[in-house]
Amino acid sequence: MQLKTRKFINKLFSGIGITSVVIMTAFLLILLTPITYKGLGAIFFSGTIEYRMLNYKEFGHGDKENIEKEFAKAKTARAPVYLQFDSFKKEVKKLEPKKRREIKNQLKEIKEALKELLGPFPDTPIPVLLRNQYGQTRWKNAQEKLHHVLYSEEWDYSDPTKPGIQVFVPRKKYFAGTSFESFFPYLEKNIKKMLLPKFTCYWQFLTDKSKDAHFFGGIMPEILGTIYLALGAMIFAVPLGILAAIYLSEYANPGKIISFLRICMGALAGVPSIVFGLFGLAFFINTIHVSNSKSVLAGSMTLALLILPTVIRSAEEAIKAVPNTYREASLGLGAGKWHSVWTIVLPSALPGILTGTIISLGRAAGETAPIIFTAAVSVGLPLKIWETLSQPTPALSWNIYNLCTEHEAVDEIRHVQYGMVFVLIAIVLLFNLTAIIARARIMKKLRG
Amino acid sequence: MHYNKKQSLVFSKKDATLQWLGSSIGKGFLFLIASFSAVIVFLIFWFIVKDAIPFFAEKGFKEFFTGTNWYPAAEPGEFGALPIFVGTILVTLGAIIIAVPVGICAAVCLSDILPFKIRQIAKPIVEMLAAVPSVAYGFFALVIFAPFLQSLGATTGTNVLNVSIILGIMALPTIVSVAEDALQAVGKDLREGSYALGATRAETLIKVIIPAAASGITAAVVLGIMRAIGETMVVWMASGNAAQIPEPIYNVLQPVRTLTATIAGDMGEADHVIGSMRYHVLFAMAASLLAISFLCNWISEWITTRDP
Amino acid sequence: MPDTNLIIEEKDAHIKAEDFSVFYGNNEAVKKVNMRIPKGKVTAIIGPSGCGKSTYLRAINRMNDLIPICRADGAMMFDKQDIYASNIDVVSLRQRVGMVFQKPNPFPKSIFDNVAYGPRLLGIKKKAELSEIVEHSLKKSAIWDEVKDRLKENALCMSGGQQQRLCIARALAVQPEILLMDEPTSALDPKATTKIEDLIGELCGDYTIIIVTHNMQQAARVSDFTAFMYEGILIEFGITKNLFEKPREKQTEDYITGRFG
Repeated sequence: MQLKTRKFINKLFSGIGITSVVIMTAFLLILLTPITYKGLGAIFFSGTIEYRMLNYKEFGHGDKENIEKEFAKAKTARAPVYLQFDSFKKEVKKLEPKKRREIKNQLKEIKEALKELLGPFPDTPIPVLLRNQYGQTRWKNAQEKLHHVLYSEEWDYSDPTKPGIQVFVPRKKYFAGTSFESFFPYLEKNIKKMLLPKFTCYWQFLTDKSKDAHFFGGIMPEILGTIYLALGAMIFAVPLGILAAIYLSEYANPGKIISFLRICMGALAGVPSIVFGLFGLAFFINTIHVSNSKSVLAGSMTLALLILPTVIRSAEEAIKAVPNTYREASLGLGAGKWHSVWTIVLPSALPGILTGTIISLGRAAGETAPIIFTAAVSVGLPLKIWETLSQPTPALSWNIYNLCTEHEAVDEIRHVQYGMVFVLIAIVLLFNLTAIIARARIMKKLRG
Repeated sequence: MHYNKKQSLVFSKKDATLQWLGSSIGKGFLFLIASFSAVIVFLIFWFIVKDAIPFFAEKGFKEFFTGTNWYPAAEPGEFGALPIFVGTILVTLGAIIIAVPVGICAAVCLSDILPFKIRQIAKPIVEMLAAVPSVAYGFFALVIFAPFLQSLGATTGTNVLNVSIILGIMALPTIVSVAEDALQAVGKDLREGSYALGATRAETLIKVIIPAAASGITAAVVLGIMRAIGETMVVWMASGNAAQIPEPIYNVLQPVRTLTATIAGDMGEADHVIGSMRYHVLFAMAASLLAISFLCNWISEWITTRDP
Repeated sequence: MPDTNLIIEEKDAHIKAEDFSVFYGNNEAVKKVNMRIPKGKVTAIIGPSGCGKSTYLRAINRMNDLIPICRADGAMMFDKQDIYASNIDVVSLRQRVGMVFQKPNPFPKSIFDNVAYGPRLLGIKKKAELSEIVEHSLKKSAIWDEVKDRLKENALCMSGGQQQRLCIARALAVQPEILLMDEPTSALDPKATTKIEDLIGELCGDYTIIIVTHNMQQAARVSDFTAFMYEGILIEFGITKNLFEKPREKQTEDYITGRFG
């Protein structure tokens, strides 16, 4: 082959290689960017007066006087709208039946949409569900609801060959010529005064409980549950893992038994996570009854099994990496084998062991399948430490699934879903970052 | 000051036995702990198979592996799981088609092409992709990717294509790191020998290094396959969960169902009727998954240990 | 009769090897050596690489036990005991026979903790006692002045020569009777080497020192007695001056004059 062609192939090859790395980076960015952006939206957003009222009444955040002042202002801006409903009632009665029916229909839809937008009409009984007691708390959602008030959703079947097209008809059309016609431009023009949107930093998203199935409030029980589960998994897996690694690297004689053990560890690492979940249910809960039903304890033990092979592997590598000269020096001074391992080898292997442990911690925090049947519930209060032995807990990983699929109002709480995913990823990445920094620090100390 | 009270060089009978006892107990204790994982593997195997056997005992193998009607909650229940197996195979295949080429090229690039400084940035990117929890991937697949696919014209966004792409991204870090380790393990000498003969980098890699690392790279692919087969949350959220074989089979825009999603999805209900076929069939699926993962493990072991 | 018995009397011998062999698997690395090491003196073992001198040295404190395929034959007598008998407490042996290795290997701990490691093994816990012992050992190693202000610092922050003197201090802190040194200066620069050789001169008398070296000039400088080994066999043993000026065996002469290395 000519040199020119060979060089060209070389460049092409490099190009392909670099492209694949660029593709991977692109994947990561495409994955993380919307989640970060919208996830932060759970904390930083434009909040309305309804939000501030709710925040104060249900969670005790905010300044009573200011909020009440603001609400009074909003009330004044809204008053004309409600008045218009009352005065229009009389007019409706005078209309001919067909038009009356059409208008009554529209009014019904408008009233429902307005309730969602601004909250219950004044001087009506307080609804049962918390979510109906307040209007829109987020300005973005409010604008969508406003659209519902101003436009009605209809289907255009005029073309018989194609399926119906969805069109938005301005409701104003139906009220042309009536006194109600001015309702719509007034609403559109003054909605800001009625809702008083302001930039909000709801950092308590991380510390508040949720109310009314995550419609309002924060995700603290889930965060706490995730932390309990991850720490619990560590408590079980790390001692077992380190001791096993010590045996494998310091005491084991190479032979059939040891190869068999290693094969088993490899097999354990390959078991699918859902099978761990099934096993956790069948064994920890239904057979040895570590708890009567789902509990953090059972979930932690199941997660521990999941991360055990990784902990053993990284601990073993770290121990093997300790130079033999340290062991020789220690034994030469008259120390026994166990004493040498405990005082010299283990402390030197600490950076590697720590890294592997913390990364496993991150993995345990993010896993869902093992805890579905063993520890996770969709709604619950944050647990106190002693309750973890027998009580199940909400957890970020499970609740993300739950909120995206089985929740009754999936689209309303998008921001909570994004917030949860963002927090979970942040926690896991934080664990990984801590591991890397801790390792660098300890290695510096050991190197001198 | 003399503090080394020269102890006797010789063990008294008592001390000798104590010493032997102490070290045996210690070693034995450590051995027990190390064999804990072997015990667990057996326990998992036992408990899963134990509850899977009643299903096969009553229903046999034919319906499960060849039947196409999956209605476990019906009276009488129908347990044709073939579409579910096909679903698993389809999404795994899709994931591999994406992950293997990109992964191997990226591994080659990381180990041989990128300069050191850029490698320092690229490796954390791989590690970050690996660290993202599976439910976050599932969220992305369901909430962001599916509507995107729908806007491109698919009737439903939760289908084989969606899951294959996301699973492919998830399997990438596994393949990249194991393949890169294999490439690095080939060592400097082979590379230097090839360059010294005047080969270009591409030729060295294609003709010398990659073949030398072939067993490690194959093991990486097998591990990637295992990752894709065993994944639960992404498929549960984004595969559409329809127990049907796509028509035609290469139509990736149709929804399917996988083994893992079926177990996750149905167990909540089935746990209330412990002892029924509905309950046991899920264990039958878990047993199949275990068998597949053990097989893949064994294959990867065999590949890496048989190389000269 | 073997060389050493002519030169060293029974009563002066600290360690006595009797038909002592070391096998690596089937390979006999040390072949039926008979050697008496005199008490309180410096004995050097010289010979070309691979002659078995390091293996022999490591056999004296049973460091070869760490190598699974290694086994010993014959007797090595110390304190009227064959240290390869079946009921020997190896830990106790190593507390009386110390070792300094070729490459300095201080622990990744502070200088203080390195030296205090041995005494702590012997049961000494009180801070005051340990401090005294550490100071004494570091002084004996001629390194006290250089480190007395930074005892808490990591031991790895020192030059090679300093690290080796630290390792010697660490070994001395156990108060061994015998000090084995396996090519202690081969990894050091000439200046550090001189310091260590001076140290050996000062230590002998209090300790029996056995030093393995491939540097004949070093052996000539520091030792009282020299043993020449070749291919696992003890060829010649004698007072250093005599062995170097008038070697009895031709092989010895060939080695010393550089005909083979």
